[in-house]
Amino acid sequence: MGDNFLSGIKKRSNVLLILLLVFGFGSIFCRLFYLHIIQGQALSERAIDQQLSDTTVSAKRGSIYDRNGNTLASSASVWKVILAPVYFEDDKQREYVSKELAEILGMDYNEILQLANKHDSYYQTVKRRIESDERDKILDFVKELSKKYQRLSSVIVLEEDYKRYYPYNDFAASVIGFTGSDGQGLSGIEYQYDSYLTGVPGRIVTENDSWGTMMPFEYQQKEDAQDGNSLVLTLDETIQHFLEKNLKQGIIDYKVAEGAVAVCMDVKTGEVLGMAVENSYDLNEPYEIADESARKEVEKLTGSKKEERTNELLAKQWRNKAISDSYYPGSVFKIITAAAALEEHAADLDSTYFCSGSLVPYEGVQEIRCHNTAGHGSQTFAEALCNSCNPAFMMIGKSLGAEKYWEYFQSFGFNSRTGVDLPGEATGLFFQHDGEPEGSMWPTDLAIGSFGQGITVTPIEMVTAVSTVANGGYAVKPYIVKQILDSRGNVVETAEPVIKRQVISKETAATMSQILEKNATEGTAKNGYVAGYRIAGKTGTSEKIGQSRKPGQEDYIASYCGFAPADDPQIAVLVYFDTPTGEAYYGSQVAAPVFANIMSQICPYLGIEAQYTEDEMKYVDTVAGTYINLGIDDAVAQAREDGFEPFICGNGDTVLAQVPQAGSEIPRGGRVMLYTTNDSTKETVRVPDLVGYTVEQVNEIAAEYNINVSFSGSVDLDSVYSYAQSISPDEKVSPGTVVTVYFGNNDVDDTVM
Amino acid sequence: MLQSYTYGDLDNFTSQKRRTANDTNRPVPQKPIAKRRKKFRVFSKGDGLDLTFFLLVLGVLIIGLVMMFSASYPYAYHKYDDSYYFIKRQLAFAVIGVLAMIGLSYFDYHHLHKVAAPALAAAWVLMILVLILPSAGEPGDPKRWLNLGVFSIQASEICKFALILFMANWGSIYYKKMKTIKFGILPGVVVLAVTGLLLYMEPHYSGIVICALIVAVMMVLSGVPILYFGIAGGGLGVIVLLMAVTGKLTYAMSRLDGWGQALEYTTPEMWQTTWQTRNSLYAIGSGGLWGLGLGQSRQKYMFLPEPQNDFVFAIVSEELGLIGAIVILSLFAVLVWRGIKICMRATDKFGMLLGVGLMMQIGLQVVLNIMVITDFLPNTGISLPFFSYGGSSLVMLLAQMGIVMNISRSASLEKQ
Repeated sequence: MGDNFLSGIKKRSNVLLILLLVFGFGSIFCRLFYLHIIQGQALSERAIDQQLSDTTVSAKRGSIYDRNGNTLASSASVWKVILAPVYFEDDKQREYVSKELAEILGMDYNEILQLANKHDSYYQTVKRRIESDERDKILDFVKELSKKYQRLSSVIVLEEDYKRYYPYNDFAASVIGFTGSDGQGLSGIEYQYDSYLTGVPGRIVTENDSWGTMMPFEYQQKEDAQDGNSLVLTLDETIQHFLEKNLKQGIIDYKVAEGAVAVCMDVKTGEVLGMAVENSYDLNEPYEIADESARKEVEKLTGSKKEERTNELLAKQWRNKAISDSYYPGSVFKIITAAAALEEHAADLDSTYFCSGSLVPYEGVQEIRCHNTAGHGSQTFAEALCNSCNPAFMMIGKSLGAEKYWEYFQSFGFNSRTGVDLPGEATGLFFQHDGEPEGSMWPTDLAIGSFGQGITVTPIEMVTAVSTVANGGYAVKPYIVKQILDSRGNVVETAEPVIKRQVISKETAATMSQILEKNATEGTAKNGYVAGYRIAGKTGTSEKIGQSRKPGQEDYIASYCGFAPADDPQIAVLVYFDTPTGEAYYGSQVAAPVFANIMSQICPYLGIEAQYTEDEMKYVDTVAGTYINLGIDDAVAQAREDGFEPFICGNGDTVLAQVPQAGSEIPRGGRVMLYTTNDSTKETVRVPDLVGYTVEQVNEIAAEYNINVSFSGSVDLDSVYSYAQSISPDEKVSPGTVVTVYFGNNDVDDTVM
Repeated sequence: MLQSYTYGDLDNFTSQKRRTANDTNRPVPQKPIAKRRKKFRVFSKGDGLDLTFFLLVLGVLIIGLVMMFSASYPYAYHKYDDSYYFIKRQLAFAVIGVLAMIGLSYFDYHHLHKVAAPALAAAWVLMILVLILPSAGEPGDPKRWLNLGVFSIQASEICKFALILFMANWGSIYYKKMKTIKFGILPGVVVLAVTGLLLYMEPHYSGIVICALIVAVMMVLSGVPILYFGIAGGGLGVIVLLMAVTGKLTYAMSRLDGWGQALEYTTPEMWQTTWQTRNSLYAIGSGGLWGLGLGQSRQKYMFLPEPQNDFVFAIVSEELGLIGAIVILSLFAVLVWRGIKICMRATDKFGMLLGVGLMMQIGLQVVLNIMVITDFLPNTGISLPFFSYGGSSLVMLLAQMGIVMNISRSASLEKQ
């Protein structure tokens, strides 16, 4: 082919082809090599960075149980709504999404829009802890949104979170504590055991597409969250309930202004069976002021004043008085002085002390008066304690000596924390004098210190010290967490009782128990007595010197600390009322009856066997049997056998109904009404007024009115009078109905300084 | 239907007046074409299709379909709830295209002489229609598609072919006057100016680049002195400068803006602009030497927007690695090389110019596409032949391959 032009085209084609292959393809090969191999690592890392979503999986916070497995705190799934405004393309989208979100979440539109306007952010928290109904709505909205605007499909993200629930609300609030917005424990056990409860958050690394949804068939690396450990407390829900219920009633009855504490402790192990602090608050709403009058007061305030006052009230509300408040123990502390004196042989049971009504402890010092201004006269050591005689204790303190007093103060654990596993424990304070070494006392210090003034203790320290007397002289460490469980419920750790030291000998402890039992039955502490349960105890009343609500006003702390049974002590209970403002403010008037009520409920619950004196036997409640459907003769025989006095109503042959019902408790010898006809059950009697009488008198009146009486409190003494009854006078009841009558006395126990 | 012509006067097919002396020098085949056709075999070294080329086309097409499917199904599933949305359509067009290719391989390309100028005119009309008719996209989006109801066609695809055809025709007629400005430079500049203006109005700047390169290649092939291209290049620079000054480059500039800085974060807006390029680079880099395996791309899960279109090769790179990418690009290179080689066997200038031009177009588009996805060139929207989703483009490409096959077939016949 001789066509020059054709061969010219061929030539140029070849040149262009070579240029294309060498420069064109050559350069893209080089470029690809550069990207694939040289830059490959860096690029793929960045790719993986955006493909892998590294999601933190919240660990479920462990639950808190009482010793019987009742749930006191638990966590449930909730979700956090996160906005990634970086995906927005224009303001129209921002406004649209903000509007919809505001509607779903019930939030302020402008607030959300403000978040949406943070252009380059991937993470703006819109709302925490939404529950599944709101979550479903959000998911629907996201679905709709991603159909409408492709880029917006990952603009809203939901992260799983947990919310804390406290099924008992204000129950044991200061012990359990609450958690903050990030689920971290802020007070109580929640704070103390936060690291156990929290668990280890997990991670899910998934390959996500650009919208954050998972790619199919791709790998997912999951590091499971380790759910937090659960805690089993030494607390017993029932005992805690007894404590709280009685404290609440006490606060109402005695117009207690500054709260109250009741602690129940196993004296041998130090397990805290109950720790009630009133006024309490709802753990589900810890930031709400629980006290209604205080809340109303705050609502009237405005601005920074309101904030200040709110914070003040919240701090007070959250405070665990049982461990954070120190107070003048007053006469309860005489237990410690007495035990120390006996142990040191500074006194023995034969020692006698004369009380003339007052005593000048040292020359040149003002005389200190006894509550019995007429004087107790000559008393033995035991009588001095039962009389709660201050002059006698000043003498006992003097013979013990300042050095020993300080030694035992420490030894009983008063100036060091008990080490209970709760946050914010305070310590009692000893006398302090500038420039003098710790523990040094001036003569008057020893005088007032011997009956519990001038020094402070915390409620937990006091009950621990009394437990030491009760358990044979051992200082135990109180504790509240019994077991730590893993998330599957296996026991990881079990707390062992810790005995720190022996403070007094077994013999001294036994002697003290005897004296204190005597005190509880005959002495100043008899209002705390519970028939059959060999209570040992001591009352205390102290003035809040320098801590009263207003200067010049006299505010008091009324307390009672005791244990049972005296021959083999198992539990110690401290009841403490801060500032009763009613007429009664003495420990014997305020704390003792509450203590007695608490003990009368706890002891049977714990299965402590009642040991009645002969006198008491008369009044011991017996369980009524079932007499229904029996023939009259059989029923009468059965009732007699059970120790009751049967009365037949109606003229039928068989018993159709009975009062009291089978299973009710009435005193031995009580009346059981056996109804043989239906109409006979309609008969009623009027409840008489049973307050202000002796035991005998109450019995007589009850018999007259054909009702049964259950006796509560100390009943084997002539000096006790009824002060309350369970069914109001003039109410109409069936004959044989049981009315509980409470007995106590109004003796004043001790002087207040 | 071709009986009335002999191969000798094919060069002067369009105009009897322009017969040249060449006619008399050329050996004139004696047998009418109808008689020879009986000897036609589908494939042969002799008078059939060039088997190697045919297989290369099919090979690239099949690999392209597979890879486009792999790249597109997550996006298709998301957008249309149908993983097969793109591949179904692309397959249909591939079938149409292959049929067109085989059909055209039997269609004597010499007939195209007649339609060269009208084809270009028609392409321009289509492009004007694109500008006039309401487009499906949102206001502000480039207008590139002619909506025909069932499917839409990209007018510039037709225009590219029309340009090659026109230039091949012109070159084969005025090959002697190619060194003159009037015949060598002016036609090229005029058609390019008109086409460029229409593309500029769409706007479709990458189309301008491709068209300019095509016209330039055609002019070089036709024998226009290289010197002029230096001058043309300077002129182009001036035009671009003028556009920049008038500020009408907004769309292109937004594309050009992020050029070469896709990996650095500057502003959220820029981060958005460079999103596609960046994720293309991530995909390529993730591929490494051997790739993540077929179907294993992660970047196609909505990180790389529209992975079925221009950036399909980024997913190829990610899944098949450098090795796979090089193999596929080498296939393209071999295809272009083979296509040009068989077109060089053409016995007439028109066939040779047309065939080489068509193959060069593919080669250029491949190179430019890869340069774009590797951020070597600004992201301007150049599709990858046989790989990128697009019916009109695929059918046009296959049809063009049919023409190349016909050129090779005719050349084989000629030789006998």
